Order: sequence, then C-alpha cells, then structure tokens
Amino acid sequence: MFASAPEHIAKVSQLYYSSLPLWIILLPILIGIGTYFLKNCWETVRKACALIASLIALVGVIMLFPLALTGTVCYDLIHVMQMGLFFEVDLISWIFAFLIALVWFLATLFSFTYMDHEHNRRRYYSYLIITLGATLGVVMAGDFFTLFLFFELMTLSSYVLVIHEQGYEAMKAGTLYIYLGIAGGLSLLFAIMLLYSATGSVDIAPVLGQLGEQRTIIYILFLIGFGIKAGLVPLHIWLPLAHPVAPSPASALLSGIMIKAGAYGILRVSLILFSSPEGVSVAETSYLFMIGNALMWIGLVTMLAGAIMALLNSNMKRILAYSSVSQIGYIATGLGVATFMGLEGAMGFAGALYHIINHAFFKAGLFMMVGTIYLYTHELELSRLGGMLRKMPLVAITFIIAACGIAGIPGFNGYPSKTLVHDSLLIAIKYNDLFSIELAEKIFILTSALTICYFIKLFRGIFLGPVPEKLDRSYKLSPSINIVLSSFAVIIIVIGIFPNLILERILVPAAELLNYAGYGMDHLYHFKFFEWAPLEAMLIVVVLTLVIYLPGVYRRWFDWKPPWWLSIHTLIYQPLTHWLIDLTGRAGVLVDSSVDNAYNRSGVVARAWCSFIGTLDSGLDRFYEKSGIMARTLADRSSDIDSRIDEFYEKSGEIARKLADRSSDIDSKIDDFYERSGEMARKLADRSSDMDSALNAAYLKTGKAAQNLARQTADLDQAISNVYDQAGKKTRDQMEKRLADQKGKKVRGDSSKWTTKHLSFDNLLLVLVLGIVLLVIFYYGRFN
Amino acid sequence: MDNTTIITIIIFIVAFPIIMTPIILYSSRVSDKLRNILAVATSAIAFLLTLSLYPTIAGGGVVQHKLFEILPNLEISLRLDLLSFCLAALASFIWFLCTVYSIDYMAKEHATSRYYPVLIFTLGSCQGIFFAGDLFSLFVFFELMSLIAYILIIHEETEEALKAGYKYLVMTIIGGLAIFFGIIIVFELGGTVSLGVGEIIHESSLLAFLAFICFLIGFGMKAGMFPLHVWLPDAHPVAPSPASALLSGVMLKTGAYGIVRVIFYVFSPDLLQSSGWDHVLSVLAVITILLGSAVALTQTDIKRRLAYSSISQLGYVLLGLSILNSNAVIGAVFHIFSHAFMKSTLFLAAGAIIWKTGKRQIADLKGIGRQMPVTMGCFSIAALAMIGIPPLNGFLSKWTLALGALDANMPLYVFVLLVSSLLNALYYLPIIIPAYFELPDGSNYDLHSHDKLHFTIAEASPRMLSAMIILALCTIIFGLTPNNIVYTLSRLTAAFLLHGGGL
Repeated sequence: MFASAPEHIAKVSQLYYSSLPLWIILLPILIGIGTYFLKNCWETVRKACALIASLIALVGVIMLFPLALTGTVCYDLIHVMQMGLFFEVDLISWIFAFLIALVWFLATLFSFTYMDHEHNRRRYYSYLIITLGATLGVVMAGDFFTLFLFFELMTLSSYVLVIHEQGYEAMKAGTLYIYLGIAGGLSLLFAIMLLYSATGSVDIAPVLGQLGEQRTIIYILFLIGFGIKAGLVPLHIWLPLAHPVAPSPASALLSGIMIKAGAYGILRVSLILFSSPEGVSVAETSYLFMIGNALMWIGLVTMLAGAIMALLNSNMKRILAYSSVSQIGYIATGLGVATFMGLEGAMGFAGALYHIINHAFFKAGLFMMVGTIYLYTHELELSRLGGMLRKMPLVAITFIIAACGIAGIPGFNGYPSKTLVHDSLLIAIKYNDLFSIELAEKIFILTSALTICYFIKLFRGIFLGPVPEKLDRSYKLSPSINIVLSSFAVIIIVIGIFPNLILERILVPAAELLNYAGYGMDHLYHFKFFEWAPLEAMLIVVVLTLVIYLPGVYRRWFDWKPPWWLSIHTLIYQPLTHWLIDLTGRAGVLVDSSVDNAYNRSGVVARAWCSFIGTLDSGLDRFYEKSGIMARTLADRSSDIDSRIDEFYEKSGEIARKLADRSSDIDSKIDDFYERSGEMARKLADRSSDMDSALNAAYLKTGKAAQNLARQTADLDQAISNVYDQAGKKTRDQMEKRLADQKGKKVRGDSSKWTTKHLSFDNLLLVLVLGIVLLVIFYYGRFN
Repeated sequence: MDNTTIITIIIFIVAFPIIMTPIILYSSRVSDKLRNILAVATSAIAFLLTLSLYPTIAGGGVVQHKLFEILPNLEISLRLDLLSFCLAALASFIWFLCTVYSIDYMAKEHATSRYYPVLIFTLGSCQGIFFAGDLFSLFVFFELMSLIAYILIIHEETEEALKAGYKYLVMTIIGGLAIFFGIIIVFELGGTVSLGVGEIIHESSLLAFLAFICFLIGFGMKAGMFPLHVWLPDAHPVAPSPASALLSGVMLKTGAYGIVRVIFYVFSPDLLQSSGWDHVLSVLAVITILLGSAVALTQTDIKRRLAYSSISQLGYVLLGLSILNSNAVIGAVFHIFSHAFMKSTLFLAAGAIIWKTGKRQIADLKGIGRQMPVTMGCFSIAALAMIGIPPLNGFLSKWTLALGALDANMPLYVFVLLVSSLLNALYYLPIIIPAYFELPDGSNYDLHSHDKLHFTIAEASPRMLSAMIILALCTIIFGLTPNNIVYTLSRLTAAFLLHGGGL
C-alpha cells in the first residue's frame, strides 16, 4: 500500500528492497516468545537465546549500514492489518537502530550477572528480547501506522520490565507508566488518524502544506504521544518513578534507549512531517518558527527542571533518571532549534542526533555502573554508600569517564554533542536576534553547570568518603560486568577524542537527507570541536559549576527537599486523574442509576397506579357488593315491611272484617234496636194511642164530669146567689141598724180604734168561705 | 447452487435447531452424553450449513423468497444477502463454540436438561432473525428469541436472576411492541414490509419519524442503547457464562442488525441524513459509549464490568451506523464481528475462572494468571483488543470507525472513541495486571524467594479452553492477517449496503 518511497528520499538516494528490517524486528520477538516457554531450569539456553537474539539484531543492523548510507531500505507487508505494514530504514533510522541493537547487546550481557540474584528470570529475558524487537520496530517503521503498532508493543512489553520487582513501589510506578503510555499511545493514534484524514496517507513524508487547519492539533497530539515516552516536562512524571525501580539493565535500556523512541518520533514529526518537499512558504516559516520555539522551550524547561531535580535527590538511580529527563531536554532543544531554523537547522539536528547517540552510551553505562554497585551492596541511597573507589576501582574509573561524558568535558563524548546544540543556539541568535533565544543559551549553560554539580555529588556520594561498615568487604566483579562497563568507557572516550568521525561519517549524511543547506550545513561540515570558541563555552560552564557547587555544598543547598506542592505529580496529575476518574465513574453511575431508577420508579408508579386502580376496582366491587347487600337488606326490609304492611293490611282487614262484623253486629243491633225501638215506638204508639184513647175517654169522662161539675157549680152558683141575696138583705138590715147605731155613736170611721179583738168571728168565717169558693172556681177554670 | 437449494438450506438452518429442541429435551432422559452430543452436533451443522451459503454470497447473490402470505402484502419470507450471511455465520460459529464450552461448564449446574434445548432453540430463532426476508418475519423471530432467552437468563433461579429476568422480560415486551408499532406504520406508509424492496419509505414525515423512533426503541433496547440499556448489566452477568457470552456476543447484535436493516432497507441513508434523524442515533451512541465505559469503571464484579463494557462497545457499532459513510459502516460491521470475538472470549474466560475458583470479584482475582495462565492469556488478549492495542482486531475496528468519523469531518467522535479506549484500559488493566503480577491476598508466597514461587496450575477443562483459545486466536487473526476474510466481508457488506451491491 505504501510501497512507493517518499519523494524526499528518492531524490537523494537509491531504494533497496529487502526483508532484512522485518527479520531484525521479527526474530527477536519470536525468540522472545519462544524463550518464555522454555523450562525454568534451562538457564543457559535462555541466556544463549537472549544473547543470540540481540546479536542477530546487532549483526542485522550492521549489515544494513552500507545500504542505509547510500539509500533507503524498504520492505512492506501489504494488507497486514488492512493498512499494510511498511518498513523503511534510512540513515536516521539506522543510527537509532544501531544504538538500540548495540546497547541492548551490552545490556543483555550485563543482565547475565545482574539477573542471577533476581526472581522470575524467564519472564525477564523473554520480555527483554520482545522489547528489543518492538523498539527496533519503532525506529524502522516506514509509516506512522507501523510505528504506532510497535510503539504500543514496546509500551506493553517494557511494562513487564518496569514492574519486574513487583514490590509496592514497582507496581505503583508501573501503573503510572502503563496508563500514561496508553494515554500517549491514544494521543498518537488520534494524531495519526487526523494526519490520515488530512493527507490520505500515514507516510512519514513532508506534508506540512496538506495539513491545513488541523496542523497545530496534530503537532500537539504527536508531541504529547511521543513526549510522554521521551519524558518531556510536564509529561515526565512516570520516568523518575519507573526507571529506578526496574532492574538495572532494564533501567539502562529504558533511560538510554527507550526514551529515544520518543525523541525519534519528535524528530520525525518536527523535521520531516512538518516540512514541505519544495521549500516552505513565508507563512509556513513563521508557523514553523512558532512550533520550533515552543519545542525548544519545552526542551529548555525539561533540561533545567530535570537537572534541578537530579541535584536535589539522593537516590542514585533516581538522580540518573532525572538526569535522563534533563538530557532529553538537550535533545528537544536541539530539535526545536532545528525546526525553527528551517533549512539552516543542520546544527540543531546534528546536535540533537549526536546527543541521542552519546546519551545512549553514557546513560546506559551509568545505569549499569550504578547497577553494579547496587548488585553488590544492595544500597541505592547516597548517604549509606561511600568509599567505593577503593572497593571497585574499575567501576569508579568507568563512572568518571561516563560522568565526564555527560558533563561535556572535552575529550569525552558529551562534549561534541553539547557543543553542537550550543552552537546551534548561537547560530539561532545570529539569525534571529531575540532575547528569548539568548536567554535559552544562558539556561543551556546553567543546566550544563548543574549537570556537572549533580555528578560531582553522585560521585562523591558513591565513591569518596569512608566506607560504611556494613559494606566493608572485598568485592569481585564478574568478567561480563567488567567487559560491559569497559566497553562503554571505551566507546565514550573514542567518540570524545574523535568527535568528527561520527559527525562526518554519519551525521552529515543524515543531515543531507533532510536537505539542509546554507551556512548551518557548511558550518557543520567543517566543524572543529577543539577550537577556542567551543572550549571557551565549556570553560564558562566549569567555572559556573564551581560557583554553584562550592557554596551549594557548604550551605547544604542540595539536601533541600522540595515541598509537596512543588511536585507536579502530587499537585496536578494525581488530583486531576483522581478527580477525572472519580468524576467519570460517578457521572456514569449517576446517569446509569438514574435511568435505572427512572425505569424502576415508573414501574413502581405504574404498579402503584395499577394497585390503586385495583383498589378502586375492588372498592367499586365492594361498593356494589355492599350496595347489593344493602339492596338485599333493603329489599329484605321492604319485603319485611311489605309483609308487615301485608300483615297489617291483613290484620286491618281482619280488624275491618271484625269491625265490619262488629258494625254489622252493631248494625243488626242498631237494626234490632231500631226494630225494637220501632217496636217500642209502635208499642209506645200503641200505648200512646191506647193512652190517647184512654185520655180521650178520660177527656170525655172529664168533659162529662166537667159538665156535671158545671151544672153542679151552676146549681151551687144559684144556691150561693140565693145565699148572697139573703146574706145581702140581712147585711143591709145589719148595715142600716149599724148605720143607725153609728149615727148613734157618730165615730165609726175611726180605724185606729179597729183591732183583731174587734173582728168578729162572723167576719172570719165569711172570708174563709169566700177563699175556698174562689180556689174551687180557679181550679176548675184551669182544667177546662 | 440454484435458488431452490439455497432456500431449502436456509429453511433447514432455521428449522433444524427448532426441530432438534424437543429431541434434545427427550434425549436427556436417555443420557446426558447423548444430549450434549446432539446439542453440539446441531450447532455445528447449523454453522456448516451457513458456511455452505458462502459461494452464493461470494458471487454477489441475493436471494429473496416469499414462503406464504398471511395477509395481502404481509408475508413470511426469507432473505439471504451479505449482511445476513455475515451475522448468521458469526452467530452460529460462536454458538457452536459456546455449546462446546457449555458441556463442561454446565456439568456443575442444575437443570441442564432445560438449558440445552433452550440454547439450541435460541440458535434457531436467532438464525431466523438474520434470514428473515421482511420486517414481520424478523419481528416474529425477534420476539421468539427474546422470550426464549429469558430462560437462559434466569437459569440460576436465584432471586437476583429472577429479578433481572423480570426486568429483561418487561423491557423486551416493550421493545417488541415498539417494533410492532413501527412495522404497522411502515406497512401503512409503504404498503409493504418486505426487505427486498430497497427503501420502503421515501419521504420524511412525522409518522415516518415515529416509525424510526419505534424501531430505534425496539432494536436499540436489544442492542443496549442508552437509555434502554438498563436490563443488560443485570441480565448478562446472572446468566451462566456461555449464555452470557452468547447474550453479549451474539444476541446484542440482533439489535444492531435490526437497526442496519431499518436504516438501509426501511429508510435510506440519504433520507436519514437529509432529515437529520441520524443525529438521534449518533447522540445516543455517543452517550452509550461514554456511559458504558464510565460505569464499567466502577463495577467490582467481573461479569458486570464486562456487561457494561458490552454496552459501550455496541455504542461503537451504533456510532458507525449513524455516521453512514463507507469507512464508518465497514467499521460498524467489522466491530460487530470484533466485539463478538472479544466479548465472547472475555465472558468465557471469566466463566472459566468462576467455574474453577468461584471468584467473581475483581479484587479476588490477584494472581489468577499464574493459576490459570491459558484462560487469563485469552482474557488478556481479548481485553487488549478491547483497549485497541494493535495488531488485534479491536484496534482495526476502532481505526476504521475513526477514519469514518474523520471522513464525516467529526473529530469529536474520534475523541469519544479514544476516551472510551482509555477508559477501557482503565477498567481492563486493573484486572489483567494484578492477575499476573500481584499475589493473592493472604497467601504466603514470597516473591523474592527465587524460583520457589510455585503456583499450582489449575486450568479449566480442555473443551472450555479450546473454545476460548479459538476465539482469542480469532481476535489476533482477524486483526493481523493480510487475508482478513472478516474484514473483506465487512467491506463488501458496507459497499453492498451503501451502494446496493457494488462488488
């Protein structure tokens, strides 16, 4: 799929099609996997396998050299993983591959002695070789897709090396390492995907013009992805934790080689991906200046922070780990300068690449030296060590050599590369008269001085002073360690004394690959390391070192422990990750459980409604039932009442009947009565008629009687009138006599003198008889 | 092969397991061994017969056949095209492996004479879904499978299982009703529900949208789409592990399959995109992805964590379907395969661990990698594939999906995918790392006593291991090999769906 070579290479050189890169990568991986299944007791076979694998890699890489020098070695596996894998080895790749293979070979040799006292060697060797293949794969990858594949593989397999001790510290460091590694990998993947979508390919080719608007985000993502592996500040936090806990040969590889995989990526991205095949436009130049400047400053901060932290630590492996951070800062600075200088960036590029080479040797060597000391003393703290100069003179000597190398002392290998980076800064000042770049140069000098300071500290701590009682015995180093350490020392010195050898043979052709031109290239080509100008800079550094170190030791500056809030890890990463993970989990659970709750609630509510309706229903039912019952009762009652009424009627009927009976009775009685009364009336009438007739008869009788009476009365009356006529003649005779007497007396009218004694009986008798007569007349008068 | 043969084969694939169900049920009265053999043989035959359809498919053939009409225009019909072949082959393959795995796993369980017939019956109905030629028959088989799967879920018959099963049942019925409603609307609008027509609904209308939402509810429910996923994390973990593997690995896919059919055969991608309905799906998919991953992070039970992970992974498929361009659909179809391999491996491995040690809590799994290296090896491979480590198949599907998202100019989706990958790492690595590199709590092993560190290897039975190993190999092979048949099928399927068979 990506068989065609990028134009920028085709222009310069030939194209070789060879499967050698694939085998260099694949054989160690396969041997590594195979080694894992060897029996535990086959120690020698395992060691042999490891050694053979690293030798295969080394020999293979060396075989590639003539091809890489004159052209590019390509190999592709079309359709593997659909995108196809593509391997391409140009000189830059070859330099990295060679470094990797060589240092790995030495580290494997060193492991033989070092690992003998360790557990789980089967796993160690197996993963050591797998990691070798993966790391070689990273640098030999021809496109970013392949690169990413091996990058991930390297992260995972080196994780096993990091946590080899499996103690608490190691697991913690390993956890940080792998999560950051995977995060970095994903960042890288994102960048590659964006690259692919922008350009339609994942080749490592100059495509700045095609990237468009997304170029900044792509660059940042690449920088994060590779920067994590390289240990750029502030992504370095895993490095000082992970490198010290690994077994020393693994630390050497991690620090010396694997962080270079990150540097390699940054180099490829900054110098190749972000450039254009036919020269960059003005706008792009200023853009590249911005990017390069940013990278340079990241490098400067990394270098300074790493150096300061190295100075303040007292664990010797951690000092070396921080030193790695610092040295990666040099490399990033060089790459940054190379990026913003454009075609003039040859010095920066060469410096960075040179420093990558040198750092691999001295840092791997230093880790192994320190590892040797740890192997025999089991001490890492400077305060508990000392006087090793006499006990292990070879280690002391090689350590001094390596330290001189890293310090940049002329005659050792650090000097040429630092000089080149420094010179690139000077050229940058010449081209862009900016204060920031001058400041950068000052920081560079300062950091170089600090580097020497912490190595003096380290050296004094380990090798000088009294030997602690516990460690006061004689040590016998195994030959493989001697060989390995000596070879590092030899390499360092050889490069230091003949710096132009590598420069001319390798770096200049590599720089030519990138089409560098102009003054920078010229300067590089004729660079003289042992001239006054570079030496002067070194002298300044040494003087500055003394100025810092002497009062520093005197005032105990280097024992200062930075407070926790200065630690970027505790200050930012830990809370941030904790917070983020916690928040993610919580938010997720919250949403999830609330959805779940919503369902359950709605279920509960629905059930409640249903049960409510059920209750309603049963209530209704009950109501009907009750009303039924009531109706029934009512009916019962009403029927009761009915029956009662019925009864009542019945009774009343009865009563009525009775009444009627009675009334008829009464009636009959009345009838009877009437009859009787009629009868009586008739009788009465009869009687009354009887009486009437009797009365009539009585009246008739009475009438007759009355007639009789009236005749008798009339007789009586005649008799009485005769009496009266006789009585009247006698009374008139008496009256004349009396009147004659009275005339005689003349006082007869005097009544007062009249009394009862005067009454004569005659008179009384007369009145009585008169009354009786009147009474009788009255009585008979009334009845008739 | 002529059409008649193909149709006979398809009918046989669907009907054979269903016919075998009572036979298996009665064979368990004769002997357990006979029953197991019959079950495995049935699933194997179903798989082989499905594979035998490959030549037709490879020739670009599409078979649509009406069996009989129930009502005018409402028929029971069969359909064979690339998509149905892919899913049917995948389902029967995993079914076969899970049945093999079940033999030893279920030996310890109760009510096995119920388990096997149900398992095989579910296979038949699942194949029926994939070979259904119209929405109505699809619906019938869908309901059949959903209801029968209930018995697999509640197999343990614990209170927890019954509760989860109840939830599953209620939601399944709701989903089924939603689909049914959708079918009615489609029938009303288009006059047919056959998948052979192409697109049934051409214009966007409120009713059509309602149908879309109904299908989304019905099939999304099965696929564990937010906010209808709630049954999944309860139901999948309580089932026996091979059933969990099938539930997560295959049965979830029926939901995704339904959505594919709805998007491409009921509606059309153009209609969805022009009316903006695809945004409904994409928003839900993004939420599903993030939610599943985030909640998986907090789970302590290994199977629950896997179940939540399934939710998130099905979100990928839905996301791919919502983006609706070539790469995204390839990614979605390929992820259906990938996830089936990965998640089945994970569930089977987790099942093996539970079977062997009875440990379900992740905190108890320290050092398990030394006791059960092969099981844990398979688990690790599948988990790394989940995280998206190349060269495993999970990476390839993520890569393709991401490219699809970028083609659609949606880097946000890529970001979501990558965040989800990171979260995958955060919840899978804490299972893997302690399994290899930490020691069981309360053990008296000493790490540094050189080679004295000796764990007794107590692996699961060979049959279980072989099922896991085959699936784990699939995750590697279908990520790495240049001749990636699954990827090719996905690519052809995507082309077929998007361009109507541009082979």
